[in-house]
Amino acid sequence: MTATRTAAPAPRTETVVLGGLRPAELQALSARHGWSLSAGELCAIQSHFRGLKREPSLAELETLAQTWSEHCKHKTFTSPIRFSDGRKTRLIKSLIEETIFKATKQLKKPWCLSVFKDNAGFVSFGSKWSLAFKVETHNHPCAIEPYGGAETGVGGVIRDVMGAGLGAKPVLNTDVFCFAAPDYAGPLPEGALHPRRILNSVVSGVRDYGNRMGIPTAAGGLWFDDAYRLNPLVFCGTVGLAPAWAVRKEVKPGDLIVAAGGRTGRDGLHGATFSSAALEGAQLSAVQIGHAINEKKMLDALLVARDKRLYRGLTDCGAGGFSSAIGELAADCGARVRLEAALLKASDLAPWEIWLSESQERMVFAVPPKNLKAFKEVFAAESCETAVLGEFTSSGRLQVAHAGTPVVDLDMRFLHHGLPRAERTAVWSPAKSAPAKSPAHKKSLAQILTECLGHLNVCSREWVIRQYDHEVQGGTVIKPLQGIRHDGPGDACVIWPHAATGDAADFQGFAVSHGINPNHGKLDPYRMALACVDEALRNLLCVGADVSRAALLDNFCWGSPEDPVQLGALVRAAEGCRDAALGFGTPFISGKDSLYNQTKDVGGKDLAIPGTLLISALAPVPDVRKALTMDIKGPGNALYLAGLTAEELGGSLFHEVCGRCASCTVPSADPAAALSLFKLLQAALGKGLVLSAHDLSEGGLGVAAAEMCFTGEFGACLDLDELPRRAPIYSDEILLFSESPSRLLLEVAPDREAAFLKTMRGAPVKRVGTTMANPVLKVTGLDGRVALEAQLCDLKCAWQGALPRRLGA
Amino acid sequence: MSDKTAVLAKETPETAAVKTAAAGPGSYLVEVCLKSDFTDAEGQSAQWLLNSAGLSARAVRVGRLYEMRGALNLGHVHVAVRELLCDCVTQEFRVWHASCAAPGNGCLWRVEVWLKPTVTDTVGESVRDALRDLGIPDIAVRCGLAYHIAGRCSRQQLDRAVARSLANPIVHRVSLHEAS
Repeated sequence: MTATRTAAPAPRTETVVLGGLRPAELQALSARHGWSLSAGELCAIQSHFRGLKREPSLAELETLAQTWSEHCKHKTFTSPIRFSDGRKTRLIKSLIEETIFKATKQLKKPWCLSVFKDNAGFVSFGSKWSLAFKVETHNHPCAIEPYGGAETGVGGVIRDVMGAGLGAKPVLNTDVFCFAAPDYAGPLPEGALHPRRILNSVVSGVRDYGNRMGIPTAAGGLWFDDAYRLNPLVFCGTVGLAPAWAVRKEVKPGDLIVAAGGRTGRDGLHGATFSSAALEGAQLSAVQIGHAINEKKMLDALLVARDKRLYRGLTDCGAGGFSSAIGELAADCGARVRLEAALLKASDLAPWEIWLSESQERMVFAVPPKNLKAFKEVFAAESCETAVLGEFTSSGRLQVAHAGTPVVDLDMRFLHHGLPRAERTAVWSPAKSAPAKSPAHKKSLAQILTECLGHLNVCSREWVIRQYDHEVQGGTVIKPLQGIRHDGPGDACVIWPHAATGDAADFQGFAVSHGINPNHGKLDPYRMALACVDEALRNLLCVGADVSRAALLDNFCWGSPEDPVQLGALVRAAEGCRDAALGFGTPFISGKDSLYNQTKDVGGKDLAIPGTLLISALAPVPDVRKALTMDIKGPGNALYLAGLTAEELGGSLFHEVCGRCASCTVPSADPAAALSLFKLLQAALGKGLVLSAHDLSEGGLGVAAAEMCFTGEFGACLDLDELPRRAPIYSDEILLFSESPSRLLLEVAPDREAAFLKTMRGAPVKRVGTTMANPVLKVTGLDGRVALEAQLCDLKCAWQGALPRRLGA
Repeated sequence: MSDKTAVLAKETPETAAVKTAAAGPGSYLVEVCLKSDFTDAEGQSAQWLLNSAGLSARAVRVGRLYEMRGALNLGHVHVAVRELLCDCVTQEFRVWHASCAAPGNGCLWRVEVWLKPTVTDTVGESVRDALRDLGIPDIAVRCGLAYHIAGRCSRQQLDRAVARSLANPIVHRVSLHEAS
């Protein structure tokens, strides 16, 4: 394969005849070309070109299809929805405006520097710096080629952060995956990859790209549910560090359009439209291959050029390639592009292919002409190729030509605002709770706890975590694996990014955590959203972050929004996000959605994923030297439970292990009450009154206590009668395994107890036990007798052995 | 295997010269693998993957394949191998002309997995750029993997296990060779 500059193909403009076609014929045309455009959208295009008295070129239609795709325009979140909850029907004009954006606008936090405008959200970090944070998904590519899909997912989100503002240096990668069980034994349709293979390949892809780029992958999560067997979810996130002056970009007419990085080939055509459709019959040319070394070279050059202020704006070439990158940068002015100037991998690309190609590791810059020479020199020094593709104009038009022949000539207003908004219908009816029954199982508390610890959604992720380099850049203060043997679970990671800034005297760092629980969403998506935000914030709190400065990211992964029931659940989840953000006072700064995650299963029926919401949270840690880990630090210390326990087992791990034998009430967070508790806890942590803290999530108090004990290798005695609770509870197992939100287990030294209780005055905090040297977890039941006594080594074995065993490793 | 035996392995200079002349210059294949006294972790991982896909492989060793095409001669290939592709302390290599069959190494099966020609080969691109830096003219390089599998199985069983574990038919082409 010899890389060449294009010159060979004869310039030609292929036109597509839309005139006279009926909606059904337009729909068939869209399907044939893989545009994922609806008949209504094509009718709007037909009418626009009828007004221009000409037919569109193929490249124009491809540009519109990419720009108007669900992937780029988030049609579901921005179009009107008629929502009915069984009692009344109301019209939501724009779901995103009325939920996520509304909360952020209302909260108006001065430290939110750039929200929902750019490739990533920016928050301030100290007086001189800012942090950019973005998490996005790469689900559809990972279903068909998991290694390449995961690599380009990581590469894409890193480029998002590199292209945010005037460019940020990536200092942390995060990854969260949702897969079917690795030992799934059920049937799979022809061509579908086994979940174990997807897990292996995705982990390898994330590992190889992140490690080669020299970015620590130190936060993440795994969730298993067999409903993900045909549509795995792969969330990749990156945090970047940028000077405070570099959060805004601009483009001025006359600036040159300069492409930098990899060459353009035929890879990944139709990526945006592909990811906006269900998987059946999708075009497999959408597979892209990542090249971490090229991206690293571009990153190094970009940071030098940024600090020399050689360009005014930049963005990455993601879905839609040059078409969406240049289209977005030129949205408020206009652009003239000469495609023959692009550097190509092969000489036989058609002009529309050059324009739409999704070859990886490419970025587009707006460079003032006087800076071009210096800009090129900086990139050449890193062996990074550049090409001037044209210039930004004030014409308000996107004009693309190839060797003098016009290929695209579109009005920017039509391109970005011409999309017709179709109204969708959404229906929501609360799931009927099964009546609570008396326990039907015959398992002892020790058995239940052991099974909970060995459950795929709780067990150790060490097999995955150890594959990632989480130490590179030398700033990982709180690591993903903690405790005396560095193998216990962490709540959140803490990063000290000043190795990159050189300011060794600044001890401020930041923490990143996630909240996810699709099981709650199956019963009540609204409460799931509240609980996810609550969990993400609790995780931050556990490591000593300042949750009053926490910023959130949302990622919705859903089935088809054309199904009113699924859309109804999506609306409820979005409303939950709004109420959680307002209640906790934590703004959303960026987000993403991935819809149509459904595929025909063996029987030919649609298998949709459970509605999945990932909340990612970022908060500063005022002094990383005071950051906490979750392992018990010594014997004889008091264990305090903060937060009220209620009979809330809907969607719980206890139900998965024992069947639905108790309350099916989905845990419901009360943001206002939780916030006041968190503030007091933060004060106690800040004063150094707490030795360790761990949040109670899946498996409740039982799992949290066991994890703290075996990670620190100290035992504990707990008395269930002492638990602070919302209403009387008469069952040991409910007290031990309830998943009521907003609760944390804290270890306090005896000489700090008085000060701790003084700080926590008025909060629902109670001493529930003591730590001890004997490596045993002992729980006294409501009847005063020992209800559970388990050796820590047995509990740890169950927790550590599950994933390798299920993987067959 | 020492350098001396590495070039055009298991062929006499005469036969190699004849084959080279017949195929035209400038199309070479290089395989680099760990010396047999080193543990091959990648091979163990491949063995686990194959066996979890239903095979009973006794052992697997992995080699990295480089196909080089263009205006180059055997001398260029040697420079490429010694300077770039092979760590001669822990690894050994074999070079053969593209027109020849790959030399066997005693295993029952040899499976080659290459990216399809239509798929971007980023490692190949990096090797090409590095060779250019070494002064070797602009040539095309594709990279692949060779799995040497010890264990009894039919071609059909192996084919199925490879498609389920080591290769994805969407992006890879696979060739299976049984030792004669």
